[in-house]
Formats: sequence, structure tokens, C-alpha cells
Amino acid sequence: MAMDVVDYEIFGNEMQYVEVELDPGEAAIGEAGVMMYMQDGIQMDTIFGDGSAQQGGFFGKLMGAGKRLLTGESLFTTVYHNEGSGKRRVAFAAPYPGKIVPVDLSKLGGTLICQKDSFLAAAKGVSLGIAFQKKIGVGLFGGEGFIMQKLDGDGMAFIHAGGTLMEKTLAPGETLRVDTGCVVAFQPSVDFDIQYAGKIKTALFGGEGLFFATLSGPGKVWLQSLPLSRLADRIVMASRAAGGGGKEGGSVLGGIGLGSLLGDDE
Amino acid sequence: MSDAPVPARFYPAGGDAHGHPALLAWQGTSLQVMPEDSPALQVSAARLRVEARGFNHSQWALSWAEGDASHLLIVDDSVVAPLRAVMPALFRSGEHHKRHGNRLFRLGLIVLVLLPLLLLGGALLALDPLTDRVVAHVPASVEQHIGEAVLARTRLDGPMIESGPAFDALQAIGRRLARPGEKLQFHLAERPDINAFAAPGGVVVVHTALMQQAGSAEEVAGVLAHEIAHVELRHSLRQIVRGAGLRVVVAALFGDYAALGGWAAQLGELKFSRDAEREADRHGLQRLAEAHIDPRGLLDFFRTLARQDGGEKHLPALLSTHPASAERSAWLEAAIQALPPTPGEPLDIDWTSVTQTRE
Repeated sequence: MAMDVVDYEIFGNEMQYVEVELDPGEAAIGEAGVMMYMQDGIQMDTIFGDGSAQQGGFFGKLMGAGKRLLTGESLFTTVYHNEGSGKRRVAFAAPYPGKIVPVDLSKLGGTLICQKDSFLAAAKGVSLGIAFQKKIGVGLFGGEGFIMQKLDGDGMAFIHAGGTLMEKTLAPGETLRVDTGCVVAFQPSVDFDIQYAGKIKTALFGGEGLFFATLSGPGKVWLQSLPLSRLADRIVMASRAAGGGGKEGGSVLGGIGLGSLLGDDE
Repeated sequence: MSDAPVPARFYPAGGDAHGHPALLAWQGTSLQVMPEDSPALQVSAARLRVEARGFNHSQWALSWAEGDASHLLIVDDSVVAPLRAVMPALFRSGEHHKRHGNRLFRLGLIVLVLLPLLLLGGALLALDPLTDRVVAHVPASVEQHIGEAVLARTRLDGPMIESGPAFDALQAIGRRLARPGEKLQFHLAERPDINAFAAPGGVVVVHTALMQQAGSAEEVAGVLAHEIAHVELRHSLRQIVRGAGLRVVVAALFGDYAALGGWAAQLGELKFSRDAEREADRHGLQRLAEAHIDPRGLLDFFRTLARQDGGEKHLPALLSTHPASAERSAWLEAAIQALPPTPGEPLDIDWTSVTQTRE
């Protein structure tokens, strides 16, 4: 399948955006609502579904759109088409602090399984599918739920996740135990499973929950250091409006208030 | 081999984590592995171990030992067919594993879908007994309060009539119907629509239009008996309690889809309401018989009603609070036939003076 080859550049440190260069006639797809700016000559077109070639006919489009709904994304995808005569640029910004990872699907064997919601943009022709997590235990306790996203194709795709992203290539048989919720993406050859933390004391007081997610090789995995939900929890906890202990007030007790004595850690 | 070679990723023993692209093909009973950047290898099928692995078992791992390490090949399920076709036995156990996983997933999915439905069914089954228990614990004083509130609200909505032939007739009929010791109040409200309703605490309100359109005192007596039955059976109170319970159940199960749940709850209430009407009809007939009033009055009144709304379009039975008039008449007729014949004592009221008066 002929995919559009796109050149790109990623700007920023902790709150990044990616600028994609489109040759005349090339196109990129972006998650609805992530476009930051685009140059003259780029046509924006909203389509139903994900705009990949696999979606023939109305029913196929409807299925594609339904899948996007399941993964928590909007029913529509936006296609950015370069109708101009020279190279033109369009930029997509990450919706929360984190890193944007460029992934060349052709170098990964064509398929990548990722956390739902992590898709940012891709060359036109990359299809956004849905991958049901069929292991009940992993779906319930793995931290990624039952529904994951599947990127298919051989073009560039940009995924985004919170905090710092770590890319790791696991050798055959190499296993990584990961805090649930930190798994962003992996190749389909990676076994994604869960493991009981082992000790009740650890589970209750270790702050990591009852289970670890385990990833075993061979294959590439991407991990995020700060899942959005964790960041959101901290923000809410720190918010005065939500009854949290906002500390800018500079009380006499300062940092040794009862709250911090008891430890308002996770 | 005529088959095109199968693309795979080759992880040689002791090699790096990245692996190398390779092509696979059978040669007799041995597998030929052709890595892109190193010399080809031959592995006999007897040495190969095959298992399904990876995300949802979407990949096949072909491994064989080499010293104390082992080589590994990863093949995607979508391209494995030519390999499997030649040596199906090798792939059997992985296939079984895969099917097992799929079966478990389907089972889990079915349970996940059925569980809320089962919970809903259980909650609905428990709703009626629970309502009975709650209603039994509501003291009469609370009912009195609700009745007074309804009455106050009715007074605010429009004028009430406290004297005159229609009022006197209503009280007279009410006295005939009341059983000894029952505290019932009958009120007449000046309204243009034919209606009568009962509130907790023995409050019965009749609209003037009903008095005027009724053909005889017996018809009004029939309606009153029906409304008194509602009071006696504590229907309004039951409906309030049940409605609240139903909404709690629906909200707990449907969460954010509260609007959807609201409709379901409303349909449930309507059904309850229709059942309650039938029950009230039955008890009303009983009461008429006890008071020696011709029970045909109620039936006649429904005929009057049916004539009145004959031209209007009807709501489907499911969406209506009251059973359809025709169905109800037929049912009443049968119920009256079944009653032991009682000598009717005509009500001593000059009905023309009631219908003629306009206040």
C-alpha cells in the first residue's frame, strides 16, 4: 500500500508539538482538535472514520467510526491535504504534558498496539483500528482497559503520552515489570500480561496496586513516566477547590501541617 | 516449494534484541531460514517448538535450541498459513491455546453484558415487596400531610365549590360509600375537564365537569368508589415510594444515561398505574355492592367517557396511565356479572338540579 511519506520535526520539551511537512498532493490525518497551525495551501477536510483505504463503502466507514467511538475518540478524523504547489507544513500539538513519539510503522512490521487516546497524527493511509484485550485479567487489572488502539500501515505515526517516554527493545524472553497504566505502546510480538505483586503488604502499602503489568520480548515497548490520570489525581488533590491542601498560603505550620505529617502521597 | 516464502523476524541465539528480517520456507521436513543479512539455516521440523504468543496470541513463535540458548522466529498470524499448511501438527497446540483464549474472552464479554441486566431484573423483582414494606411503615400522619398539601395545591390552581346542590349531592354520595370509621373528605373543584382524583389521607377531589356530564348519581357513586379504593389501597403513596425506588435503581445501573433511565422508569410507573387502576376498579365495585348502589353506574360512566373521547386519537396502551376505555368497560362488565346480585337502593338525589346548576 502506498503511504504518504512525511517529513517532520518535533518542537518543545515537555509540552511538545510536531510539525509535519507535506509535499504537494500529500496528506496527513490528525486526531480531531489537535491541529495547532497550518500554512497556506493546506486544505482541511473532516471525514467520517479514519480515512484509510481499508474502509470501503458506507458500512466500512461506519464501522471505522464506531471503533473510534469505542477508543474514546471523536467520530471524525481530520485530513490535511496539501493542495499547494510547494512543500507546506501543518503542526499538531500534544494535549497535555508529555512527549510525542514518532513511529515508523514500516520498520515495526506494520502494526503497533497502543493505549487508547494516545494517537496524535499520522500519514494518510495509516489505519486506526481497535484491538480488544482478550485476556480478561489484563483488561481488568492491566491498567489499559479492554480496548486498545491498533495502528496499521507502513507510514509515520505520532503517538503521545504523559511525562517522559521510554522506548525499550526487549530481547526474546526479556521481561519488564511495569506499573499498571504506564504502558503506552508495544509491538504485537510482545506478550502483555499481569503479575500479582506477591505480597499483601506490598499491594496495600507499596502504592503500586495488586498487580504489575508484565511485558516480555521480543519486541519494542514504549512506557510513559506519568500517566495523565496520575497527574490529574495530583492536581485535584492539590486543588483547594477540591478540598486539597493548597500550600501557597504560607501558613505558620507551613510544610509540617497535619496533612503532610500524615503524608498525602498517593 | 512453490509457495512464496513467509516473512518473519529472526532472533538468533546470543544475538541482539532487535532481530533481523528473514524469509521462511519448507524444504521437505526442514525449515529453511533465510535472514536478510546472514547465511541461510536449515532446521528440521522435529527440533522446532511452536507456540502462539504476543498480543492476543496474534504471533507465532518458532524456536529451537542451540547449545544452551535458543533461536527464535516470530511470524505474524496473518502470513503463517503456508507454514501451517505443510506441518499442521506443529501448530496444533498453539491453535488450541488461541481458541481457548478466544472462548474465555467471549464468555467474559457475555457475562459483562448480562450482569447489569440480571441486576436490573433482580432489582425490579424486589421492588414490589420493598415498596410494600416501606409503605407499611409510613404513618397515617404523613399521609395526612401529603393529602393536605395536594389539597392546598388544588386550591391554588382554581376555585373550589363549598356549597350548592352539586356539593351537597357529592357529600351525600360520599356518606353512603364511606365505611364506618373511615375518614374521607370529598371536595368539589370548579374545572372544565372531566376528572376526579384521590390523594393520600382520604382526600378525594371531583371536578365540576364530571358532576355535570354524569348521567346519574350512580355514575358519580361509581367514580367515587373507584377513587376511594385508591385511597384505601394507598396507591398514591405506593406510587411515590415505588417511583423513588425505581429511579434509584435505574440511576445506579445506567449512571450517566439518566435520561434513558428516566424514560424506562416512567414506563414502569405507567404500567404500575394501569395495574393500580384495575385493582381500584375491583375494590370500587366491592364497595358499591356493600353500599347497595347499582354497580352499573361505573360502567355507564365509562360509556359516557368513551363517547366524550371517541373522536380523539388514543395513546398506545403502553404509554397510558389508564387502561383503554373499551378494554376497561368489557372487563368491568364481566366483573359486574360475576358479583352476587344485590338489591340496588336508588340514591335519593334530584340529578337534574345538579347538572342544571352553573355557579
